[in-house]
This record gives sequence, C-alpha cells and structure tokens, in this order.
Amino acid sequence: MERNVTQIALFAALIAALGLVPQLTLAFGVPITAQSLGVMLCGTVLGAWRGGLAALLFVGLVALGLPLLAGGRGGLGVFAGPTMGFVIGFPIAAFATGLITQRLRALPVGWAAGLGAILGGIVVLYAFGVVGMSIVLNKTLGEAFLLVAAFLPGDAIKAVLAGLITAALARARPGSVLSRA
Amino acid sequence: MISLSSPVKTRAHSWPAGAKLMALCVATVALFGLQHIVPLGLCFVAVLALYAAPGPVFLRAGLARLWGLWPFVAVLILWHWATGDLAQGVALGFRMATAVGLANLVTMTTRLSDMMAVVMWLCTPLGRHRRAIGLAMALVIRFTPIFVLKGQGLALAWRARSARRPGWRVIVPFMALALDDADHVAEALRARGGLGNL
Amino acid sequence: MLCLADVSLRIDGRDILDGISFQTSARRVGVVGRNGSGKTTLARIIAGLVVPTKGTVRLSGIDVAKDRRAALREVGILFQNPDHQIIFPTVIEEVSFGLSQLGCSKAETQMRAEEILARFGRSPWRDAAIHVLSQGQRQLVCLMSVLAMKPRLIILDEPFAGLDIPTAMHLSRVLDGIEAQLLHITHDPEVLRDYDHVIWIDAGRVAQDGPATTLLPAYQTHMAQIGDADDLAQLTG
Repeated sequence: MERNVTQIALFAALIAALGLVPQLTLAFGVPITAQSLGVMLCGTVLGAWRGGLAALLFVGLVALGLPLLAGGRGGLGVFAGPTMGFVIGFPIAAFATGLITQRLRALPVGWAAGLGAILGGIVVLYAFGVVGMSIVLNKTLGEAFLLVAAFLPGDAIKAVLAGLITAALARARPGSVLSRA
Repeated sequence: MISLSSPVKTRAHSWPAGAKLMALCVATVALFGLQHIVPLGLCFVAVLALYAAPGPVFLRAGLARLWGLWPFVAVLILWHWATGDLAQGVALGFRMATAVGLANLVTMTTRLSDMMAVVMWLCTPLGRHRRAIGLAMALVIRFTPIFVLKGQGLALAWRARSARRPGWRVIVPFMALALDDADHVAEALRARGGLGNL
Repeated sequence: MLCLADVSLRIDGRDILDGISFQTSARRVGVVGRNGSGKTTLARIIAGLVVPTKGTVRLSGIDVAKDRRAALREVGILFQNPDHQIIFPTVIEEVSFGLSQLGCSKAETQMRAEEILARFGRSPWRDAAIHVLSQGQRQLVCLMSVLAMKPRLIILDEPFAGLDIPTAMHLSRVLDGIEAQLLHITHDPEVLRDYDHVIWIDAGRVAQDGPATTLLPAYQTHMAQIGDADDLAQLTG
C-alpha cells in the first residue's frame, strides 16, 4: 500500500529534520538534539515494522552520503568511527521500541510508548552502541559502557518525552498512532 | 539537498562505486589486522597523502570531517597514558582516523546517484519492491528540506508567544504534519497508478 | 508608535531587505508588495522573531528583537497557515499557551482564555479538538490565541490566503472590530481599501509610503503594467 511507503519515507525525513533544526532543545534549557528521540518516535508511532524500516531507510541514506545526522554529518566515515554501533543500531532499536509499544496494549499509550522507548531506544540501542565502540576503541565492553554512560540521563529524558509526545499525538490525532491501531 | 560528495573532481570520481566499496571493505579489514604504532602511523600518512593529491580544497574538506573524532582521540590518549601504554593509544588513534578517513574518501569521491545505483543493484533479489525503495529514497531527499522549514516555522510560532526556547510540545504538530503529508503523497501516488501490490 | 530605522537583512550575501525605514501610529497599516518582495520577512522582523543585520524596530520604545519579554506583551503575529502555528491538540490549550508563557497564574490563564472564547461566542469550542475544525475556524483559534495576550500591535501575514469568500468576509468583519493596531501584510490591495497608512515594499526596499487612497491605485496600476508585459522570466525569488 502506498501509504506504508510514504509514512516510512516521511518519518525517515522527520528523523533527519529533527537533527537539522537547531532550535529544538528539549529539556530544561539543556540542548539535547531531538534526533535519537525521532528514532524512538518512529517505533512508538509507526509500530515495529514501519518504524524499523523508516530508521533503516534513514541510516541507509546516511551511508549513501547524505548529511542527515545531527549537525549535518553523514557518509561512510560514520560507520567506521566510534559511534557506528549506535547508528547501525537505530533500525533495530526502532523496531524493538515499536514491538514493545504494540505489545503493551493494556497500558495507556503514553506509558507503553515510554517503556518501549526505554527498552528499545536505550537498552537495545546502547547494546549495539557499546559493542561498536569497544571494537573501534579496542576496549572491553565494560570500559566502553563507562565511556557512554554520561549520555544515559539525556536519553532517559528523551524516552520519557517519547511517551509524552506519543500520548499527545494520540489526543491530537486519534487513530494516527499506528502502533496501537 | 546536497550530498557529501566533493565538488572537486578527482580521478576516483570516475571509478565504479561498487569497486570502491569493495576496496574499502578489504582495506578496513586489513587495517584492523595491524597492531603497532609504526605501520598504523604510515597508513594514516598514506591516507592524508590521498586527501592531499586532489588539492588544498579537498584536503581541507577531508580534514574537517576528521575533526569530529578529536574527543575520542583525546580519550584514547588520556586513557593509555594513564595505564602507561601511550604508544598503543596513539596507534589506536591512527587506526580510527585512518578507517574513518578511508571511508569518507569513498563518500567524497562517489556521486549520490552512483551510490544509489549500487543499492538498487543490491536490491535486485527484492524484485517488485525495488520500485518502492527507489521511491522511498527520493521522497526522503525531497521532504527533508521541507520538514526542516516546517520545523523552523513551528519553532517561530512558539517564539511568537513565548520568550523561552521551543519545548518538546512542538514535536507533536511536527509529526502530525508529517503524517498528513504522507497521506497526501500516497493519494498523489495512487492518482498516478499506484505502486501495485506491496 | 511603530518605528523602523534602516532595517536590513542580509542572508548568504543576498539583501532580503535593504534600508527599510518608516514610522506609523495609524490604526490600520498595510504592507503591499509582490510575492518574494520581502514582506513576510519584514513581518517576522517587526514581530521580533528575526533579528535584522542592521537597523532597529521599536514599538512603543521597545526594541522587539532584543527585549523579547516586553515585546511579547506588545506585539502578536498571525501566520498564513494555521496548521503551521497551532501547537496544542485542543482549543483551550492553544489559547492558554501564550497566557501561561506571559507569566499568568493558572487561574488567570483559565479566566482570560475563557473570556476570549466568550467574546467571540465560541465558548462551546473550549474542549474541541483542533483537527475537527475547518481552515477558517483554525485561523480564528490562532487569532483568539493572539488576542488573549492583549498586544498593542497585531501583525497579519496574508490571513485570507486559502479561505473561501464567506470565511474571508467573516474574518474580515472580526478584524475590523479589533481595537489593537493592525499591520496587514498582503499582495492584494483590495483588502486594504479602508486602511489608513500603506507601505509598498519592492525587492526588499520601500517603494512608496503613504495614505491608502493614493498609494493603492498607483500600486494596482503598476502591477497591471507588469502583468500586461507578460514576462514569466521575471522570477521574484
């Protein structure tokens, strides 16, 4: 169906736009880029398959040389550098986020999305990210984890926001949160 | 939207993209087989020479892309200096910069259209889905700048009523607009014959 | 009193606006010009949302770009497309936003929001979802959100764009009744017929500045001449 393709493509564009609009700081005056939040939202709003494909499309275009990562970064160099695990993990994290959001039907959408974002957008994503970093920097997994631990609080805030945003979208446009359709 | 391939024309621009990507894979695997500071340092110098060959504009662009690695280089140097193993830290820094430099070299010398052709070729086993993939890529490229403008517009609408920087709330209408646009484009596609069975 | 002194905006080497100067305390002010002449950018600069590369905009003595807190009490802006400016899912939340950002207490915010809805006879809209409203109704919600903040100057950026004739007439009647000073940006001189002071912007500069009665006919004649010349090669962008 055409709508699947356009939703996947346009959400990939949304992830890119969230990294390129400088005015989007998120919480309490701390400038956190909204991009990884966009990856979580792919999952919470579009669900596991479409969300995962949207993130995959996004990552694929970055690999092709488009400056879609926050700050206008991109190209194959990203996949050879220390953050490669995170970038490669985007699609799987979005998929996991969507899967959990969908499975937690019994919970209100905000809570389901928030939990999905934590388990998918943080636990799964960081698993990939830490492995990637340990390879590139030649450190043990534990050491690599220490290096990225500083970003956990920011990402925890993003997971909470993913829940709030998904809940607000469900109110603004009932039926548009496809992970619950 | 402008891709990251360099406008400075090099001989590498005319080499087939698939071959460059294969060479990159082989080179990176070989690179990760090296351990010591001297061979890795030589590799890094070799990569710099490759960047310098097409001229100063190309070199500066390439170095600008490597600059983002400096916090990680700093971490490596400090870490290994603290563990009394500085040579290894520097060696790892060389390895990282060389790997990233080689990868970016391929990106800078390959046109987006050539890269997309490789992707489409890799997708041949997917048969009829190929058309959808090609379309999806084009849609992302078309809509990212549009969404950036809409995002800036929403940020402006926020600042028209608040002295504070836009908060997370702005993302809600942003997503609603994206979903609406997805519906409109789907409609336009169907009006032009649709994508068949997907 | 709105004062623009030598306002210029240069982006990437291009002069979007060049040396715009005028002042006015007329109750109804119009800004006309072709699409791409810079009038929308000018609207944003007067609202204090874009900082000019040169020059200042002062409203009642306040520099709107520098002193945002004071500016928000003085000037409001209605953008062209309500879908690009409505942030909240329900009418009451959208109308309340500006009030809470001005520092009103929860009680005062609620009171003033409901007051503006009542003033327009739209109290039943209180908990309505934005997405069930028509384009014209959404534009009204945006207007109410701005009016609730009681600014002295309201900038209207092509507010009738895309509205059908009856809706445009309704909105026009609503705007006529507003006490605040209105600055109406448009490419269509017809809507400015009863206005006091009009400024004509052409290619980023002030082409003419005067009473509507003399300026608008001159503008219309000039536009018709360009139209007759039949030269689509003249891109305004």
